[in-house]
Parts: sequence; C-alpha cells; structure tokens
Amino acid sequence: MKRRSVRTTVGCFVISMLLLGSGFAADITFPTPSYEGEKLKKVREWEKTWAGKKITIENIDQVKDFLHEGVYKAMTNPTIFGAEALWCEVVPYKQYSLSKGMIEATLKHAPTNKIDAEGMLVGYGDVPGIHFPQPATGLEMAWNFDGNTRGDSHHEIQRGSVVDCRTRFEREAEQYRWELYWINRYDVPPIPRFTKKQNPRGIARSFFQRHAAPADFVDTTMLEIKYQDIHREEDLWVYTAMFRRIRRYANNQRTDQIDGTDMIYDDQDGWYTHLIHNTYKYIGRADLLVARHQDSSKLQRITGQGFWDGVQRERVNHWVVEVKNKDPNYVYSKQLWYLDPESWQMNFKVMYDRQGRLWKMYELFYTEFPSYGGQTTPIFNSEHIVDFLRSHGSCSKREVKAVGIEIPLKQFRTQALKEKSY
Amino acid sequence: MKTNTIIRIIVFLVVAGYAILPETCSAKVMLFDDKLRLKGSLYQFMMYRTDLKREEKQYRNTNWGLMRSKATLEMLYKAYESGNTLLNFFGFFHYWHESVPDLDNEYRRSIASWARKKYQGPFFDEDDWINELYIDFYHDKWNLRLGKQIVFWSEVEMVRTIDRINPLDLRYTTPGIDPWDEIKLGLWMFRGFYNSDLPGQLVFEWIWIPGDFEQVRTPIEGTSMGTIPQPQGPERLRPRTGGQSDAVYRSFYRAKPAFTLRNSSWAFRIRGNSELKLFGDYYLVDWTVSYYHGMNSTPVARNKTLGRPSTNNFDTSTLNGYLNRNALTRVFGLPQPGLPYDSFWRYKFFDAIGASFQTYVPLIGAVTRGEMSYEIGLPVNKAFPLHVDPNPGSQKAITGTSERDQINIGFTFDKPLLWNWLSQHWGASGVFDCTFGWYGQWRLGNVTRVRKTFGYYDRHQSNFTLTVRTRLRHNELWPTVRFLYNTRNWGYGVWALRYTPGKHMRYEVGFLWFYAKDPTDSSEAFAENKDSIYLRIGYEW
Repeated sequence: MKRRSVRTTVGCFVISMLLLGSGFAADITFPTPSYEGEKLKKVREWEKTWAGKKITIENIDQVKDFLHEGVYKAMTNPTIFGAEALWCEVVPYKQYSLSKGMIEATLKHAPTNKIDAEGMLVGYGDVPGIHFPQPATGLEMAWNFDGNTRGDSHHEIQRGSVVDCRTRFEREAEQYRWELYWINRYDVPPIPRFTKKQNPRGIARSFFQRHAAPADFVDTTMLEIKYQDIHREEDLWVYTAMFRRIRRYANNQRTDQIDGTDMIYDDQDGWYTHLIHNTYKYIGRADLLVARHQDSSKLQRITGQGFWDGVQRERVNHWVVEVKNKDPNYVYSKQLWYLDPESWQMNFKVMYDRQGRLWKMYELFYTEFPSYGGQTTPIFNSEHIVDFLRSHGSCSKREVKAVGIEIPLKQFRTQALKEKSY
Repeated sequence: MKTNTIIRIIVFLVVAGYAILPETCSAKVMLFDDKLRLKGSLYQFMMYRTDLKREEKQYRNTNWGLMRSKATLEMLYKAYESGNTLLNFFGFFHYWHESVPDLDNEYRRSIASWARKKYQGPFFDEDDWINELYIDFYHDKWNLRLGKQIVFWSEVEMVRTIDRINPLDLRYTTPGIDPWDEIKLGLWMFRGFYNSDLPGQLVFEWIWIPGDFEQVRTPIEGTSMGTIPQPQGPERLRPRTGGQSDAVYRSFYRAKPAFTLRNSSWAFRIRGNSELKLFGDYYLVDWTVSYYHGMNSTPVARNKTLGRPSTNNFDTSTLNGYLNRNALTRVFGLPQPGLPYDSFWRYKFFDAIGASFQTYVPLIGAVTRGEMSYEIGLPVNKAFPLHVDPNPGSQKAITGTSERDQINIGFTFDKPLLWNWLSQHWGASGVFDCTFGWYGQWRLGNVTRVRKTFGYYDRHQSNFTLTVRTRLRHNELWPTVRFLYNTRNWGYGVWALRYTPGKHMRYEVGFLWFYAKDPTDSSEAFAENKDSIYLRIGYEW
C-alpha cells in the first residue's frame, strides 16, 4: 500500500513535470520561417509578378512598399552615389536551411533562457543557439542577434573600395579575415565552449585580419578579442608593417572609421561589441526586400559608384529594433536594426546622425555557404555601407573560403600578428 | 652624371604619368600563381630651407635642401609550403638619387667629393641598395630568418632606448619624416624565434650578427642637414670642403671594423603577454625583456694614436694633432693634411639590458607604453673639465677614453580624444590620436670629464613629446602635428598634411621647425636653423 502510494506520487510528479515541460516547449517554436501559410501564399502570389524582374527608376514605385527608405532614396537619386542609374533584381523568398546544431541548441536552451536586471543573458556562454525564438522585447531580439555565431568560425577574403562618389576617387582594400567564437558554440566541437585550459582569459570571440591592399597597408595585421565578461572592454592590437611594431589600441577608438571606410569599428557585422552598451526598443515588423541569397558575381558597379548594382532582393518579414547607445555623445543618435526572423542575422541597418538625419545605411548581402558536417550556414558575402550626407560609399565582396572550420587557437595570439609579415 | 640625369628623368616621368592617370594600375603585383608578390613605390621628396643664415648662404645658390628621388621594390617569394613548414624569400631594395648637388654648384662644391658620391645615392656601402634580403623559414614553433634584416624592438615613438640593433641613417631627414624601415640600416644576421606554449605565450628570440657593422650615418658636412665647412678662415682663401666635421667623418669611416666573427654582436629577447587584475580591472600586458651585446655605432679615440690634447700639437699621425693641423691649414688657406693610414678611432662593445611593456589602462582610457634600457660600459671620449676648457663638447680636445653606464627610459600615453562635432562633418572620424611622451636619460658615474654628455656636463636630460593626428575625408587627408621639447630648451616641431586621394598617389606637405637656445648644446640642437618646408609626392603600387 505504502509502496503503491509512493509510486502513484512519483508517477503524478513525473507526468505533471512532463506536462509542464511540454507547456514550456509548446511556447518555443524554431525554426521560425519568415512566412508561413496564408502569408507565404500571398508572397508567392506577389512573386509571380515580380520574381526575376529588374527594379529600376521606371518601376521602383511599384515595389516602394517593400523597400527601405534608404534604398528607395539611393535608387531614385543615383547621382548621390556616383551612378547614372541603379538597379536591383527581385528573387523568390527562400527559407534558410539552418544547421542542426543551431536548432538543437535553441530548442534545448531557449525554454529556460532569462535576462537579468542588468540586461545580461543568464548563463551567457553556456546557452548557445537563438535565445528567444519568440521574442517580446527589443532586448531579447538583440540577444537573438548575438546568438548567431555564423557557423562558430569562418575565414574569408574581403576586397572592397572606399569611394568618394563626388570626385570618383577610390581607394582599394583587401583583407584576409579569420573569426572564431570561443563560447556559445553550437556547430563545431567543442560545444558549447572551449575548456578553461584552452581559454583561460574567457574570450568570447576573436578576430584576426591581414591586409593585402592598399600598398601602404600590405602585411598590416589586426587582432581583436572580445571577452565573455561584459564589463571587460575588447582588446585590440595592430601590427603596422611600416613601423614593424605591434601597437596596442585604446578601446574608446571604437567609433573611429575603419581604414577610412564609412564603417566604424562598432558597425562590423552589424554590431561588434557587447550589447550592454545600448538600449533596445522593439518597434514592429517590416516586410522588406533584402539580399539573403546573393550571387556576389552579379554585383556590379563602375569606378566612382558607391552603391552596388545587381543586388538580388527577396522579401523578408523583419523584426525592427531601435537601438540607442547609452553614451549621450555617441556618434549615432540612433540606429534601426532589421533582423532576420529565421537566422537572426542583421540584414541591414540605418544610422542617424546627432541631428536625427538619416546618415548611413549598411546592407549585408548573404549567401548559404557549406559549413560543418555538410550543413549550410547563412553568411554574408558582400556589402555596402553608404553615407547619404556626404555622397560616399564603401562597397566590398567577401570571398568566403570556409565556414565552421577548426582554426588553430595560436592564430589569435599577439605573436601571430608579426608572423609571416614583412 | 649622365646616368643620374637619365634616372631622374625616368623617375619624374613615371611619377608624373601616374599622377595624371592614378587609377589605371592595381596595387601590388602577384605572379607565378600568387607565389611571388611584388610591391614598390616611387617618391620625390623635396625640402626648401626657410631660415638660411647669412653664414650658410655663401655655400648655396638656392634654398633647396633636399631633392631626393627614390624607388623601392619589395619582393616576397613563397618557395615552399607544406603543413606547418614554410619557406619564404623576402627582399626590400631601394635606390635613390639626391639632386641638389647637381642643381646647385655652390652646394656641390661645399661637400667633399668622397662624401658627395656616398651621399647622392646608395653608395655608402656596396650593399646599400639592399635594405633587407633574407630567407624566412617556419617549422612548427620555430622561425628562422637568415640574411640582411631590420629589427624593431621599440614600443615608444620618436626616441629609441632598447631598439639598438640597427643604426640609423640621419643624413637626409629626421626620424618621423622618413619611415623607420627606410631610415634603419639593415645588417646581415641570423635571427630565430621559438613560440612556446608556456604561460604568458612566451616567445624567445635571439640574434647573431656575425661581424657586420654599420656606423651611425650622421649628416655630412656641407649638406643641408650637416654643418657648413668649419673653421672658415679668411674669406678669399676659404677652402670649400674638408672642415673638421669632414675630417672626423672620414676618419670614422676609415675605422670601420672588419667583417669578422670576432666582431659579432648578440641579442636575446623574451616576449610575453600576461593578464593582471588590478583594482577590479583586467590589464593585458605585452612585455619584453632583452639583452644586447654589440658595438657602439659611434667610435671613441684610440689611445695609441690620440696624441697630446694641446693646441700646440700638430703631429698629423695623432688625432688631436691632425685636427689641429686641419683647422690651421683651413684658417691659413693651406692644403689639407692627408689622413694617415693608421686609424684614429675604435668602435667598442657595450652591453644593454632592456625591458618594455604596453597595456591599455581602462581607468584613463589610454594605452600606456614604456621601455627602459640599462647600458653597461658605454664607451665615451674624455676631455678637460668645464673650468679648464669651456668649449662645447664637440670642439674640445680629447684627453682619453672611458666607459659609463647609462639608463634610458621612455613612457608614452596614447589617448584618443573625440570631437563630436567633427565626427559629423567632412567625413572625419572626429578622433584625435594624441600621444604624450617623456624620455629621460641618466649617465652614471662622474661626468665632468666626459667630452660629450647631455648639454654642458649634465648628468641627465629629459625630452617631452606630443603627437596629435586625425583623419578627414575618409582618410584622404591626414593632418599631423608633432613636437619634441628638451628641457635644455631645444627641440623641433612638424606640421604635416598627407593627402591620399586614390589607390596609388600619395602627397605630403609639411613644415619642419627647429629651435634651440644654444645650438652647441647637443647634436640635435645644432639643427636650430634647419627650418624647412617639405613636399613629398609618391606613387605606391
């Protein structure tokens, strides 16, 4: 009798926990396609008219509802960016095929993920994946953006031009880049993080870059370390080939332009440092045409043109977050982030100057690239960042060499900056 | 002369051609399946003197101080790569021609002919056209570099303390105007690195220079950066060249030590990267400790051939006698005495222990760098004390030689300052990179009989430096100001504006301002009237 009652009690407890668990699980859905059901049907219907069509000044007003104000402004005033006319192409929406690791990690951790009073993700570093697949606040959306590790590591060659669209002068740049996530990993072992022995300093992400152009920057290398400790600022070293010195840089140079481009250090990959520096406000959804499956060979421009032609845009229903830096003197008064509902990558963002005028727009053009274990990972293979106020643009293509690879950890030591540099 | 003219015309035409069509060529050239990388530059660098003294004008027809055409070629060949083994060949070659002696006949006559040839092109040594040339071999944690190389060990800017491996070529400009890798003189050496897995990511580095030696190349008498030929003597009988400075320079050159193993220099360094937590903040410190054993790049007198330190000594087989006779013959317009075969000078070894660090300091939002060297047994010339011979150090008779220990310390603080208004205008980042530096030197022991110490027998000296630079129009314009102030009231300032409009063309205009309360205070203070406007036009590929 006594044994039976114990069994009954344990049974009831297990069943109730399972029910409770399934209740939580029922709140979490992942992957989260941009369109489903009726909405998808409507999109497909719209695509019957527009997919494969070239958007130019003649027909742009017919798709104006699906273009961001910045893209519309550029395409209707192409001379701002040194072109007589600009064009893009509409391609059908295609749902991303996300990695097994990202899906499993998200389903495992998202049900219990929480943000503390400081705005920090509880357990940051050990809870990989998209943290809040059904977000309610701007901060949760920002954490989702932070959760995408782009295959945990990648290597690419970036070739770009800094374009003064008024004088048509261009300066070229070429960089070999390696990036590695040390925590919150979901694709490439070790998951979710490197061991304490391998990572005694608590590195969250490391980035190494070697310049191959312009001529006066050849062999200049850069190493940037972001730490798991959100109160610890990034460390940045630059080896300048001309001076043959490894120079430590101050972190408060993060609003400095990178090599004279329109991009500041914080702009890299959309947002490059800790989320804690900003406040985030969800302001709604936006169904816009962006490049998620870009064939970078189709991007074209003439000398002096600071905005790509040939962008292959598909409709995506974005999450839009207004971002304001906590520093009242920050270079941007606000930014609007347009986050992808499937991968939570940033498809583009716009930045406003301190007078509140639309200043810059940063569009990242993605592709699905083979990654670890025969899967694919969305990663950007080209971009442009344009300055509306000064008719300036920085256009680049990224030749993605590998995603989800094992990069030797010694690549991210300061000594690596000098190795093979001349 | 004919060849030089042709070279100048070719350099001019190439620079002018690319100035007209700056976007037609791509930066750097890759050949043989990207195994060979070539890059280079063509530069024309001109200085126009704005403060020529009457005394100096008699040795010039124009105010042009420098008109140097320079070409560089850098070559990297990846010979072998397999797994973690890599073999590269690297070469950096340069060629230049300095044209002012060709254009200005009075100037040309003011430079001794032996020195002029060495000055006008890469002819000081046979291998001057090779700046660097070495084999670079990597295997696992090892890296070996064999050949002519330039080594940079310094953390701070403008002043060197531990960075003693390569001497400098200061004949044309001051540091900060020409890049360091072109001002330093390459040496043939064996250099190795071992990247350990020890805590602190320790890297062990060692250098062996088996007898190659370069003296420091100070400005040559009669040239724009050098002294005028002195003493001058009666105006009509005044000889154009062969002053005291030239005599000393020539005898320095003749005293160059042989390229033998006995004259080897050694250096060893450990580099680390350590984390500290102080007052709640993390400090990631890059640090080094080093040891150097090598020859001082400035010689001291040989006691055997020194001679009596007296104005009555005219024995040209001794250093003091030779210099007295040289001065006398100039004053009376007599022929210059021949330099005896026996060397007057000797380059001597000394040792130096050094350390450096750099770290970001969150509290002040600045990067701080520091370095220190303790030089043991630095060879010095001796002279009569000040109350016996009140002349400036460079004019005193040498009474003997000795050794002194010396401490050199340098600190800099790099603090970026943001001007919000500017960050929204002119394509500027609004960030001003400000570097404030302090450098101190102490000479230990008795300095009252040291011939050339800091100022008039000071035991120590201090320099303060300030550099401020920013960028406008998306790095097209680079304004920079730089100052150095020595507490004995001499120093210099540079205002420069660099313009980089496209892929290849580089322009720079600037003004160099020197000042000194007493020009005889030090060799740097001597440049007091060298104020110049400079212009650099270059093509980089």
